[in-house]
Amino acid sequence: MTGAVLVVGEVQGGHLTPSTGEAVAVGRSLVAGAAELVGYAAGSAGASAAPEFGGWGVARVLVAADPALDGAPVAATAIGVAAEAERLGADIVVVPGSTFGRALSARLAIRWKAAAVTGVTEARRDGSSLVVARPVFGGRATERRRVDGGRVILALRPHAFASPAGAPTPVRTEEVAVGPLPPVLLSARRVSVEPTAKGAGPSLTDASIVVSGGRGLRSAEEFRLVEDLAVSLGAAVGASRAVTDAGWRPTSYQVGQTGRSVSPQLYVAVGISGAIQHLVGMMSSRVIVAINSDASAPIFRVADYGLVGDLFQLVPALTAEVRRARAS
Amino acid sequence: MEIVVCLKPVPEAETRLRVASNGTTLDVEGVKFVLAGYDESALEQALLLKEAVPGSKVHAVSFGPAPRTEEVLRSAIALGADLATWIEGPSGPGADPVTAARVVAAALADVPHDLVLCGKQAGDDEAGLFPGALAETLGLPDFDSVVDLRWDAGAGRFTFLRATDAGGERWQVPVPCVIGLQQAWNDPRTAKLPNILKSRKAPIAKRAAAEVPGPASVPVGFALPPPRTGARLIDYKTPDEAAQKLVRILREEAKVFP
Ligand SMILES: Cc1cc2nc3c(=O)[nH]c(=O)nc-3n(C[C@H](O)[C@H](O)[C@H](O)COP(=O)(O)OP(=O)(O)OC[C@H]3O[C@@H](n4cnc5c(N)ncnc54)[C@H](O)[C@@H]3O)c2cc1C
Ligand SMILES: Nc1ncnc2c1ncn2[C@@H]1O[C@H](COP(=O)(O)O)[C@@H](O)[C@H]1O
Repeated sequence: MTGAVLVVGEVQGGHLTPSTGEAVAVGRSLVAGAAELVGYAAGSAGASAAPEFGGWGVARVLVAADPALDGAPVAATAIGVAAEAERLGADIVVVPGSTFGRALSARLAIRWKAAAVTGVTEARRDGSSLVVARPVFGGRATERRRVDGGRVILALRPHAFASPAGAPTPVRTEEVAVGPLPPVLLSARRVSVEPTAKGAGPSLTDASIVVSGGRGLRSAEEFRLVEDLAVSLGAAVGASRAVTDAGWRPTSYQVGQTGRSVSPQLYVAVGISGAIQHLVGMMSSRVIVAINSDASAPIFRVADYGLVGDLFQLVPALTAEVRRARAS
Repeated sequence: MEIVVCLKPVPEAETRLRVASNGTTLDVEGVKFVLAGYDESALEQALLLKEAVPGSKVHAVSFGPAPRTEEVLRSAIALGADLATWIEGPSGPGADPVTAARVVAAALADVPHDLVLCGKQAGDDEAGLFPGALAETLGLPDFDSVVDLRWDAGAGRFTFLRATDAGGERWQVPVPCVIGLQQAWNDPRTAKLPNILKSRKAPIAKRAAAEVPGPASVPVGFALPPPRTGARLIDYKTPDEAAQKLVRILREEAKVFP
């Protein structure tokens, strides 16, 4: 082992995602001694996105610019990453805390013969071991895990780390080959990519602010109040299952046990009672605000700040005030 | 179609979490383990596919200790699973999910499977590692965060939507494959009493867990966050005043205003 760390970037819309920067920050803190931190970018947009690693101080980036990776399952990307991690003699691979990162780490664990841990909120070396912390049970508990010696893949919890700041570094890129992909992976075809909603803001898992609405919104039309507030805050929109069950919004909006888990800086729950199945999907948010007419709603037990009252009066006033405050 | 559905017994959602006396895991004393969350959806999806594709069988597979693993398999049979395999061994809260996947992969070597359905993530460890690790071990493609799974009989392949951070991706995938499901059903079926009674005597194939030495993470700590103290309720006379106060707090005190 050389103590080198490989950070796999996620390329989206031709650019590295913000969560890639978070992975660089963790990778940087884990590089041992004089070893190197190396970036990795895959897919046909990999070459043009790779220099963005320099913004986080990464000077060397491997680029697997194979267009065959674009519409292939994540397993295809894992093949190249495992080969390069092996060649570098890395002992840690860090991947972003996204759907992509998590899927990649599972394949990589087998292919590169490494331990893998997801949802990581803390990571440090301890002699020849690596110790991590991660929330479990929907943020109702935190577990610490240790990997003794050997290789580790870390997939991070979104927003748990800050991207490195500082002067950009010039980037040296190196083309790397992936080799022929196994036919079993090529027979799966991605036929289309659909953005969440037309002109929508940030995605639920990436957003640093999430505004979610519940049954209290009364109808699909009135749910717009929540979306207006989200637009004013630059936030992503979520919903309780009552809303997605009623068909007011698609299931991709659902936050909770059977929807998405989010952990933004700010979570605003509007007209949501706070059933345990909803709470486990958002309880690890840093700051929680609840707006509900029922002062005894369980959501107020996990919220940091609460407005008790009629959302149909409070939310439009809040949207207007946010607009005013952001303009000034 | 041979549908294998992987089920992990997890503590029921309402469980009051306590730290075990070793300080490193959940105290499972008195905890009720159930079929829950995404795994309940995965089983429901398996049963819907079986109904849609004549000649299909649903085979429930679970790796874990007695008695919870057998109980979860019996509930799967009561709901309509045709076969059940219990891989007996140490698995559960705190166990390494990649190791669990390698154990189950070893057991699936001689079990027919066109589709292996899993939950996107387990309700306890929320690792989301098992389906991908299982698929890589079996040499199959895997897809996580899948919703709207349909079988296209004419073309002999699945179509589905993969919910990603950026939106969704539509896929066409031939069998065999592994799916990590992220579907929320409006009304997953409940077992009928005669079926519950029948499931008590149904045969369950039991096997010992294979030895799979290899890299793994071990739990070394389990902690509960300090209880939230409850929201600070902002008092106000008019909605405008409420909005102004909240924005000021978010900006100056919580420092989360964009
Ligand atoms: C297996 C299982 C899985 C589940 N998974 C999920 C999941 O992933 N995500 C999820 O969200 N739920 C999930 N649920 C459902 C969950 O139990 C609740 O039923 C659901 O979260 C309730 O949604 P809600 O808070 O919007 O609705 P309600 O519980 O009906 O609450 C509506 C709230 O709106 C308030 N309200 C009404 N009118 C106004 C007004 N004018 N102004 C202000 N407030 C108002 C009310 O006081 C109330 O508190 C699951 C349930 C099960 C059994
Ligand atoms: N011990 C197990 N036995 C059977 N299936 C499992 C087991 N552990 C995990 N799974 C499956 O893999 C999914 C994801 O689990 P995890 O990777 O632990 O989050 C679960 O929803 C189950 O479908």
